[in-house]
Amino acid sequence: MANKSESTSPQTGIEKAKEAQLENLNTHIGNDVAISEIQAEAEQPGEADIETFTHIAQQLEKELCSIVVGQERVIRELLLALFAGGHVLLEGVPGLGKTLLVRTLSDALELKFARIQFTPDLMPADIVGTTIVSEQSDHNTAGNRRVFSFQPGPIFANIVLADEVNRATPKTQSALLEGMQEHTVSVGDATRPLPKPFFVLATQNPLEMEGTYPLPEAQLDRFLFKVLVRFPKAQDLMRIIDTTVGSQTLQAKQVASGEQLMHLIETARAVPVATHVKEYAVRLLLATHPDQEDAPDSVRKYVRYGASPRGLQALITTSKVRALLEGRYNVSLEDLQNVAFPSLRHRIILNFDGLADGVTPEDLIETIIEETSTS
Amino acid sequence: MATNAPSRHAAIAYDNTDGERLIETLHPWRRRLWFQQILRWTEYGVTIGILCVCFLLLIARFIPWATSSYWAFGFAGVILLIAIGAALWYRPSLARSAYYMDIHLALHDRLSTAWELRDNSAPISVLQRHDALQQLSKHTPAASISLWPGRKRLLTFGIAAIALALLLLIPNPMNAVLQQQAAFQARLNRQIAAINQARTVIDNRTAISAQERALIDKILREALARLPQSSSEEQAQQSLAQAQSKLNQLRDPQASQKAQARANASSSLQNSSNANVSNTGKALATGDSKALANSLHNLASQLNNLTPAQRAQLAQQIERAANQAQDNSQLSSALHQLAKAVADGKPGEVSDATKTIESAAAQDSANQATTNSIDQASQSLQNAANAIAATSDSSNGQNSSQSQTPGQGQNPGQTKAAGQGQGISGQSGQNNTNNNSGKNEQVFVPGQVGSGTSNISVDGSTSTVQSGKPVPYSQVIAQYSQMAHDSINNSNIPPDLKNLIQDYFNSLEGRQ
Repeated sequence: MANKSESTSPQTGIEKAKEAQLENLNTHIGNDVAISEIQAEAEQPGEADIETFTHIAQQLEKELCSIVVGQERVIRELLLALFAGGHVLLEGVPGLGKTLLVRTLSDALELKFARIQFTPDLMPADIVGTTIVSEQSDHNTAGNRRVFSFQPGPIFANIVLADEVNRATPKTQSALLEGMQEHTVSVGDATRPLPKPFFVLATQNPLEMEGTYPLPEAQLDRFLFKVLVRFPKAQDLMRIIDTTVGSQTLQAKQVASGEQLMHLIETARAVPVATHVKEYAVRLLLATHPDQEDAPDSVRKYVRYGASPRGLQALITTSKVRALLEGRYNVSLEDLQNVAFPSLRHRIILNFDGLADGVTPEDLIETIIEETSTS
Repeated sequence: MATNAPSRHAAIAYDNTDGERLIETLHPWRRRLWFQQILRWTEYGVTIGILCVCFLLLIARFIPWATSSYWAFGFAGVILLIAIGAALWYRPSLARSAYYMDIHLALHDRLSTAWELRDNSAPISVLQRHDALQQLSKHTPAASISLWPGRKRLLTFGIAAIALALLLLIPNPMNAVLQQQAAFQARLNRQIAAINQARTVIDNRTAISAQERALIDKILREALARLPQSSSEEQAQQSLAQAQSKLNQLRDPQASQKAQARANASSSLQNSSNANVSNTGKALATGDSKALANSLHNLASQLNNLTPAQRAQLAQQIERAANQAQDNSQLSSALHQLAKAVADGKPGEVSDATKTIESAAAQDSANQATTNSIDQASQSLQNAANAIAATSDSSNGQNSSQSQTPGQGQNPGQTKAAGQGQGISGQSGQNNTNNNSGKNEQVFVPGQVGSGTSNISVDGSTSTVQSGKPVPYSQVIAQYSQMAHDSINNSNIPPDLKNLIQDYFNSLEGRQ
């Protein structure tokens, strides 16, 4: 019974959540607009929430920067995705601190961390978990009996590090799909919710591509950001020597809990966006499509597919976070331009000409920003 | 719990005040932006206007354009007015002002977002508005929105102004061309007036028939209509030459022969010993119809007193005169009739012959009047052509004084032929080639063969080919053609050859 309850309790939670959503919807449809407005007002973050957000974000950034040296831009982009509630694909050569960054993040946020080293022989069950047969004592017979119980995989964590995600087979990679999009895992006939917050931070190595399985477009699109981890500069390397080779080991302080993080995500989503800013975001997105009239010539020439609507969502949500981090209460065009690179670079699929000519998505995004009108 | 929660109405009231404050704050910025827009667009209007003036004046330096300055400055004025009008009309809205101030003050879309969400009562929207107003309060319209045009625009304006000044100060090489054109137009107008005057004179002449008057008038009116449309001297000359050619076609080709025949006949009659016959010859020569009638009447009265021998002698004299007038068939026939009547001594026949002679003389006079009218019209056209060409030559500073005005010719040693010796250049006279003492070599185009041996001065203007100054083909060929037609008609050339020569000249005329 215990097993049964264990296996069914998450499903009950989902149902409850759905019921709550239904009730909420009924309330809105119930013509009591004034009540719904008041409820919406009550949910709106206030000045204190904004201050909390700013404080925690600054603390978190400070902690990460103190341990991961020379990757300030990566840390900023990681935080943008984190406070926007999205997943991040980190791409960089080995040894640049990707794993350290993710580990430090989980330490600073007091979240459950799990690392999955993707290899060609990794199976989906190794990620999502599996049902096993175990022996339990039976009170009625005073003996043991064998029962099926679900053994959760490492995906049941708040922060999941999918290390070298492109080394596993597509079948295994797809095990992440449902969890990333729906925040649930289906094993057998049961669907289990993942803990909140849930972040997948995947890494991939652009070198040693032999024997790898590049992520398909559908899976790439589920990552809010693709962050390029570049090689540190000389002065950063000096600092790395000072901080990592010595006798002392740095440990990140906890700055926020999972619940606080969820609240911060809600706070960031409340940041207002003006119409002309939204229109600019749409123009940016449409400009990535080669069949659009406003697309630059280079996009028409080198792009096979442009960014999906998820790209637009990524632009807006991360811009809101950036606005708060910059001390503003509104999204600006500059925010969109800033987040356009990590939001769109993995969503622009180059054609053969683009690959042959060595064109990078970054070049195209830069062109799009230059040529897209801001008014 | 409910009492602790902020009142929704209170929040909305607070927000509305906040929105009004935003509007009040934006108003001075908007006014300043509008003022800046007016100044800037006016400056653009002035600069673009100056550039347009420069462009049009530059064009006027390559193409003769008399009214270029009026057009250029008028166009610039219109541009300036449009610029000012547009600046006044398109007053920036508050939303536009907020958007512009966001860009100008690097407010990162704070103001435009605040403006859009000015009625939003969400706490974060209120915070956003406060933040926007706070950021805006750090600036003032006067300090932030400069009315000074800036270096680049001043430099552009300066360059345009200098270019305009240079174009206005440096003489336009096309002015000389324009002056020539104006002078040509003035000459043209003067000649048009002269031709009009000649036309009026011819219209008032009653000696010629109404039909012939109308024909001459039509030709002159056509020439007058074409002349003002002439943009060059060549075109004007061509128009005049065409009119002259048409006038020449109205002439009676036998007129000169008839006149000569009449002159011969009158001369022969004047040599008669009989006073009445001699008077008849004189009357024929002068065209005095009354004197002719009197002398013939006296001759008829005298017949009864003459002997048959005297009558035969008189008839022989008249017969000789009739033979002299064989080219004038009507007169010749009338004289033959008179001679026969005199020889027969029948006063009734003499009276009939007298009427016939009077009729022939009247017909000759009418023909002569028509010819004179045509000559006068042609003369006026020729004078116009001469005046246009002469002034053009003098304006070139290379005109020689070799041209002679048309003069009155006389038949040396013979009876003075009234009006018969009148000629116009290229129509009468002899083929001459003059050596020009000036710089221009003048080649006289052979004119129409004149009657008798009239020594008529030829004005070479229209029929003169000057080096470097082409004479219209039509003008030359018309004269040659006329001369050829006259020569053909006056000579004993077989009809088939006549046609051949006429076809040749007709084909040449067709090439013009």
